[in-house]
Amino acid sequence: MELSHRTITQIGHYRDMDLTGTAPDTLLKLYFQMLRLRRTEEALHQEYHPADEMRCPIHFCIGQEAIPAALSLHVRPDDFIFSHHRSHGYYFAKGSPLRELFAEIYGKATGASGGKAGSQDISHSDTNFYSGAILAGAVSIAVGAAFGFKHKRTKQVSISGFGEGCTDEGAFWEAMNYAGKQKLPVLFVCENNRYATFSDQLKRQADDNVSARVRPFGVRATQIFGNDTVLAHRTIGAEIERLRNGDGPALIEAYTYRWNSHVGPEDDSANAYRQPGEMEFWKANCPIVLLGEKLRAAGLLTDALSARYEAEVAAEVAANFKFAKESPFPTDTHWRQMNYADASPLADRLLGVATRGAGFDQYQDEAKLGPY
Amino acid sequence: MPAITYREAIRHALAEELTRDENVVILGEEVAQFNGAYKVTEGLLEKFGPKRIVDTPISEAGFIGMGVGASMLGIRPVMELMFWSFYSVAFDQILNNAANVRYMSGGQINCPIVIRGPANGGTNVGATHSHTPENILAHHPGVKVVVPSTAYDAKGLLKSAIRDNDPVFFLENTILYGEKGEVPTEEYLIPLGLADVKRTGTDLTIVSYGRAVIQSLAAAQLLQQEHNISVEVVDLRSIRPLDIDTVLASVRKTHRVLIVEEQRPFCSVGTQLAYMIQREAFDELDGPICRLGTVDAPAIYSPPVEAEQLPNPQRIIQAARTALA
Repeated sequence: MELSHRTITQIGHYRDMDLTGTAPDTLLKLYFQMLRLRRTEEALHQEYHPADEMRCPIHFCIGQEAIPAALSLHVRPDDFIFSHHRSHGYYFAKGSPLRELFAEIYGKATGASGGKAGSQDISHSDTNFYSGAILAGAVSIAVGAAFGFKHKRTKQVSISGFGEGCTDEGAFWEAMNYAGKQKLPVLFVCENNRYATFSDQLKRQADDNVSARVRPFGVRATQIFGNDTVLAHRTIGAEIERLRNGDGPALIEAYTYRWNSHVGPEDDSANAYRQPGEMEFWKANCPIVLLGEKLRAAGLLTDALSARYEAEVAAEVAANFKFAKESPFPTDTHWRQMNYADASPLADRLLGVATRGAGFDQYQDEAKLGPY
Repeated sequence: MPAITYREAIRHALAEELTRDENVVILGEEVAQFNGAYKVTEGLLEKFGPKRIVDTPISEAGFIGMGVGASMLGIRPVMELMFWSFYSVAFDQILNNAANVRYMSGGQINCPIVIRGPANGGTNVGATHSHTPENILAHHPGVKVVVPSTAYDAKGLLKSAIRDNDPVFFLENTILYGEKGEVPTEEYLIPLGLADVKRTGTDLTIVSYGRAVIQSLAAAQLLQQEHNISVEVVDLRSIRPLDIDTVLASVRKTHRVLIVEEQRPFCSVGTQLAYMIQREAFDELDGPICRLGTVDAPAIYSPPVEAEQLPNPQRIIQAARTALA
C-alpha cells in the first residue's frame, strides 16, 4: 500500500516494528543515537531564548531522529552526506563532532565551519559532511559527488538528505534525471514531513508522494513509515549495499513529522496549518518511544540502562555548551582571507593529488598575484 | 503625517495598487494564507481573495517564469522572493528572459513585472541568505532596480514600480521592516530614478542607498557633533536609472565624496558611481573618491564579526575622516 500523509494517521499506534534479524547491540545503538540527537536538540531549543547567544536560524529536527540514527550505522567515514538546512540530524549521522556543532551555532572560531556558516550551512570536512545550498541545489551537488565516485571507481556512496519541500524545485528533477541516467551511487533520503514552512505538500503538488514520480527517471524508490527506526535501518542498509555494488541510484521516502516550527524555537501553532490530531498521532508514534517500547519488551532496555544513557548524553551536552561558550570568536585572519585557494590549504585534501599538473605551483609563485 | 513602519508602507502600496488595477496580482511563497515570511502581505488575502493573492510552491524559477509570461499579456505580477538571495535559483527567468524580452522582440513585448523582497546582511543568516544583488541586477539594460531606505520612499517607489512597464526589481531590508517613518495619508508616487538629499552639508558628500543611508545619517550626526564635519547624505533610492545629476550637484558643493554601500567592493554599484563622478566632475574633486562597503568576503555568520563586515557608523566615520584627510 502506498503511504500518504492523508491517511497515515489511520494507523493509530504503529505496531509493525520487527526486530527480527537486527542484532541487539545494533538496536541499542539506534536507540542511543536517537536519544542523543533528541536531547541535544531539546537542549539547543531550550537555550536559544532568552539567552539569545545563538543568533543563526536553526531548523530543529525533533521528531525526525529515526533516519539520522539509521544512517549513522551504515555510512562509512569515506562516504559523503549532503544535507539540506535541517542539518543537525545528518551531521549526527556522519559522526561529525557535536562540540564543533555547538561552537558553530555560537559563531565561534572553533566551530565546524569556523563560525562562518551557523546551523543551516554547516560543514565538517574531516567527516565528509556538507550542508548549505538552497534546497535542491544540495541534491545536485550530491549527484556530482556520486559522479566523482563512479569516475574514480571507488565504492563510496553519496547521500543526499532533504525534505519533500525540495521536490517543488526543478533542479531536484534535473538531479533525478541525471542520477538515473548515469546509474550513480547516490542515496536520496527524502524525509517527507508534509509541510514546507506552513504549506501542505498537497497545496503545492498534485500528490504527496515523491516515490512514484522519481521511478520513471530510473530512480528506485521505497516508501517507509519513517519513525520505524529498525525498518529504516534495514532499508537503508540494503540500499547502500546495492549502491556500493554499482546498482544505483535509490530513493527512500520516509514519512515522518516535524514537531517544532519550520525554523527557530518559537511556537507556530497560531498559524493553525497542521491537521487536527496529527501532532498527537506523531508524538504517540515518536521514533524513540516506538523503539523503546520494543526494546523494553525484549528485555534489552532496562531502567538502569536508560538512566545511564540519559546521564551520558546530559554530560556530553553540558560539555559541548561549555566548549562553545568558552571558545573565541573568529578574528580577522580567520574570515577575511579565505576567498581563494592559496589561503585555504586545508581544502586541497578533498581534491586528492596531482590535479593541478606539474609546474603549476611554480607558475603560481612566478605570477606573483597581486590583491584580487 | 502618521508614522508607519517600512513594512506597512510596502503593504499599503500593494493594497492601493491592488485596488486601483485589477490586473495587479501578488505571487510568492506563503504570501497569501500565512501573510508572507516577513508579514509584508498580511491581511491582503482576506481583502483581495485567492485569485489576486496567490501562494506558490518553493519554485522560484517556475513561478517567476510564470510571472514573466503573465506580465507580457498585461497582468501586473508583484512577485515576492522570501529572500532576494534566492533570485539565483531563477536567474535565467529574471535576467535572460525578463530583462531581454523587449529588446529581443524588436520592441513588441513589454514585461511589467515587479520582483520584491529583502536583500541584506546583518541578520546572522549566513552567506547563502545575505546577498545584495543590486549591482548584478543593474548590470542588465532593460531593468530597473530600486532600493528604498525609508517607509516614505518604499511606498512611493513601489507604487511607481507596479505601474512601470519595465521589469522592476525592488530590494527591501529585513532590518528596516520595523522602522517607522512619516507617510502621508493621501496618495503619492515617487518617480524611479530620482535621488533624494537626506541631509544637507558642506564638507563631504556621502552617496548611499538602502540601509546604508540610515547608517550614514547616524554617522553624519556624530561627525557634526564630535568632529565639526558637515556631511551631505545623498540617497540614490534607485540604482538604475541612476540620478547622477543630484549626486554631481552635491559634489560641486562639497568637493569630497565617500560612497557607502552594503556591497562588496569589487564591481559594486559604487564602482560605477565613482567612474561617473570622476568623468563628469573631475575638476570639482579635492581628493580621491572614497568607498566604504562590505568587507570582501562571503557574508559571515559569526554575529560580532558580521557587524564589522558591514558598513556601520563607526566604520563610516573612519572612512569619512580618511576622505577628508
